[in-house]
Amino acid sequence: MTKKEVKKANTAEESYDEGTKKLDAEFKEHSVAEFFKKNKQMLGFYGKVRTLTMITHEYVTNSLDACEEAGILPNIDVKIDELGKEYYEVTVTDNGPGISNTNIGKAFGKLLAGTKFHRLIQSRGQQGIGCSGCTMLSQMTTGKASKIITGRKGQKAISLEITIDPKHNEPKITNEKEIAKAFQGTAVQAKFKDVLYRDSEQGPLEYLRRTAISNPHAQISFRDPMGQKITFKRTHNKIPQLPKEVKPHPKGVTVDEIITLVKVTKARTVASFISNDFDRTGAKSIQEVKNRVSFDLNKDPKKINWSESEEIVKAFKEINFIAPSTDALRPIGEDQIKKSLDSIVKPEFLTVLTRKPTVYAGGFPFQVEIAIAYGGDAGRSNAEGRKMEIMRFANRVPLPFDAGNCALTHAVQSIDWKRYNIKDVEHSPVTVFINFISVHIPYTGAGKQSVADEEEVLAEIRFALMNTGRRAGIYISHKRREAENQLKRKMFYKYIPEIAKALKEITKANEEDIKKRMEKLVLEKLKLDEAKDAEEMAKMQDKMDKDSKSSISKKNGKDKSKEKVKK
Amino acid sequence: MATRKMRKPKAKAVTSEKTTTKEIASRIKKSAERMVKEIKAHKDPSFTTMQRGKSNVVWDEKKGYLSLGDKTVTRNFLNVAHARKFMQTSLIMSKTNEYLLHNKTASIREIYYELKHTIEGTKENTFEGQDESDPTIVDLEHSVNTIREKLNLHANPKGTLYGNITLKDKMHHNDKFNASKLGRGGWSIMSRMEPEEIEIIETDADYLLVVETEAMFERLIEEGFPKDNHCLLIGVGGQAARGARRLIHRVHKELDLPTYVFTDGDPYGWYIYSVIKQGSMALAAHSEFMSVPKSKFVGMTLDDIKEYKLENVTENMKDGDIKRAKEMMAYPWFQNKDWQALLKKALVDKKRIEQQALANRRLDFVATHYLPEKIRNKEFLP
Repeated sequence: MTKKEVKKANTAEESYDEGTKKLDAEFKEHSVAEFFKKNKQMLGFYGKVRTLTMITHEYVTNSLDACEEAGILPNIDVKIDELGKEYYEVTVTDNGPGISNTNIGKAFGKLLAGTKFHRLIQSRGQQGIGCSGCTMLSQMTTGKASKIITGRKGQKAISLEITIDPKHNEPKITNEKEIAKAFQGTAVQAKFKDVLYRDSEQGPLEYLRRTAISNPHAQISFRDPMGQKITFKRTHNKIPQLPKEVKPHPKGVTVDEIITLVKVTKARTVASFISNDFDRTGAKSIQEVKNRVSFDLNKDPKKINWSESEEIVKAFKEINFIAPSTDALRPIGEDQIKKSLDSIVKPEFLTVLTRKPTVYAGGFPFQVEIAIAYGGDAGRSNAEGRKMEIMRFANRVPLPFDAGNCALTHAVQSIDWKRYNIKDVEHSPVTVFINFISVHIPYTGAGKQSVADEEEVLAEIRFALMNTGRRAGIYISHKRREAENQLKRKMFYKYIPEIAKALKEITKANEEDIKKRMEKLVLEKLKLDEAKDAEEMAKMQDKMDKDSKSSISKKNGKDKSKEKVKK
Repeated sequence: MATRKMRKPKAKAVTSEKTTTKEIASRIKKSAERMVKEIKAHKDPSFTTMQRGKSNVVWDEKKGYLSLGDKTVTRNFLNVAHARKFMQTSLIMSKTNEYLLHNKTASIREIYYELKHTIEGTKENTFEGQDESDPTIVDLEHSVNTIREKLNLHANPKGTLYGNITLKDKMHHNDKFNASKLGRGGWSIMSRMEPEEIEIIETDADYLLVVETEAMFERLIEEGFPKDNHCLLIGVGGQAARGARRLIHRVHKELDLPTYVFTDGDPYGWYIYSVIKQGSMALAAHSEFMSVPKSKFVGMTLDDIKEYKLENVTENMKDGDIKRAKEMMAYPWFQNKDWQALLKKALVDKKRIEQQALANRRLDFVATHYLPEKIRNKEFLP
């Protein structure tokens, strides 16, 4: 048993002893922080490489959100230093608005303190476990406090150290000092053990690269433990519109959510609760609900019990509502994706498609953005050459883990890429970019790394993949033909001197003249072939355009039928 | 011993190809000039030759030999599949043209080596092997309507002549020699057997016996068979080469000698006979000067096994033999009842018998009994 393990065991024993002494008190005092301490795996902090990536993710997400909310174009600097065996220090500095004294504790020293927990809003958020989770993890593995420097505009910057009291889920701030140097933004530095840096698809570098791709308005620089620096430059100078909070759509709500919602509602009757706290509900819907439930809708919503809540959900299921509003969704945008992929992946060919928003499971608006990059640095390179890479994002956040369980991966796998002239897709220089946008991402697990196979989601992604796939296919086939033509030209050309010489020897004709004329013949023939190809391609393109138009109109038809309101 | 009467050539020696070297050279030149003209006219240069192989072979029943049909193939330079072959053809044309102009001859292996080189700027050779240059030579032969010997090319000589026949080598001090006086090995047949080079003077032989294997050829000489039976002997050593076929044709035609063929008793041997008699598919264009439609097959047949008590020395036919027998059964020139019966028997019994298996009876059995009896009794297959 190593020292560390002995220590762990001791801690467990101690807490066990304490527990037997004051069981009741202890039980009450079990805070979220304590829960985290014992269940960090559930929150995504497992696996040595993965944990380091998740730490990076938490800090960077926090910085991006802070900058955007304050209307600042984010500049984020990440450093990872190796301090010992499986022992690293992570430093993340941003140019954000800084944090006020009162909020530092909330942001870095109190679990589940975020404001996004019960809101339906398109967010990067991971339920606010974020930076405080890192603080917790750091003190759990190293016993050390996290260092924070933060400066607000017009105020002096302060430096402090923070830990969390796990029993009370309260921040403990020490060594607070004003510093002389002018600084605006927030810098956090924390040490972690039992983590590992790897330059792999699951490592922090790739995570940051993808974050830079999905956040073209951010500039992200990174220094890895070997001292190598890389900067992903900003390619778009506008801060994305802040996402809008939306009310839940009745089709998407669960019994449990209603119980949660009634606790915070300002409505005084169930009827007004339904009409005010939900999207797309009006007098008609209230009447419909009234006809279906056993209790009076004038009841105080706070007094609704489980079975009454069940009745409401059942009623919602039966009633037709207008599809939820989709104006709260904030796609990255085709131009922005194009620019950032061009800058970071530098492909030979790139096609991007942002689909129109639509709805899954009757109540959740969502939208997909797809890009296919081919050639250049597209695909992941390994010893055998380049292979296909699927970059999955949920609300701009990269999902580097659990690829096999994800609807986004499944959609890519379900495509017959041969139809789009990508013969051996697994070993092609292809990057598929998929950003799934929703106020409510249907994750498959608490790790929040994979999207569930919702039928509409799969269909929408597949459709977008086919559409972009066709465009890529045309390019690839054109490119292939060009390469073939090049080969043909070479093939013909190499024989010309031999033939010209032979013919000269028999006929005494001018060798150079024959050579030149034959080369001209070859070029003209290839040009003719190319023209034929172009004609074919134009036909193909035409057909594809027709195809995609007809499928889009079909899609619209489907949406309309959903929007029908039952009389 | 009374002096036997000498046979002198009855028929006039006919050159298989009457065209002169100059004429052939001018045909090659014309073909090349047409290519240049096409190139200058902004057209894809082309090369046309006769299509060869089964699909363009015609069985001429009246004449009794195979001849080439009139189907042609054209190869274009601007065709991915033809470009290399086109280049190779131009090289062969240029080189043979040079041989003709400078009165040089070369073997087909020599021309391959003379033309083989790495194409500039590539790792590719003009010819990767002789199997690439040989067919190109045949293409040219057919394209300018001549035989390879007229292109001053020759294949490796194969085949041996023995017996009381006097020839004159016009290309070598007009040497006159008798093929029975050159030792046991006889005279090596050359690849070029045209009358302007080798003249047939006279013979006292009554017939010509063509033997498949060199070993049987030697056996018969050792037993004194040609002398005792007043015949000429040609050993072809498997499938007969051009020179041997040309000589068999000329001896038969010019001296009016009956010609008998003696091969192993298997489909391969029988096919050797059919090539001597009716010509081959590959050289169908030249059958007129190579085939001997009146030749007869003396053996071995499968009936010989019982007849000569050779049951113990048969061998099993191999898959290749069976396949060959089936193909032969279908050829129009094998459509007569004797051959069909023999091939059918081969397919049923799946047995074969070699010439040398006759040694099972006695070493000299073939010379003292088998051949003399068969020839005396005219036990031939057509």
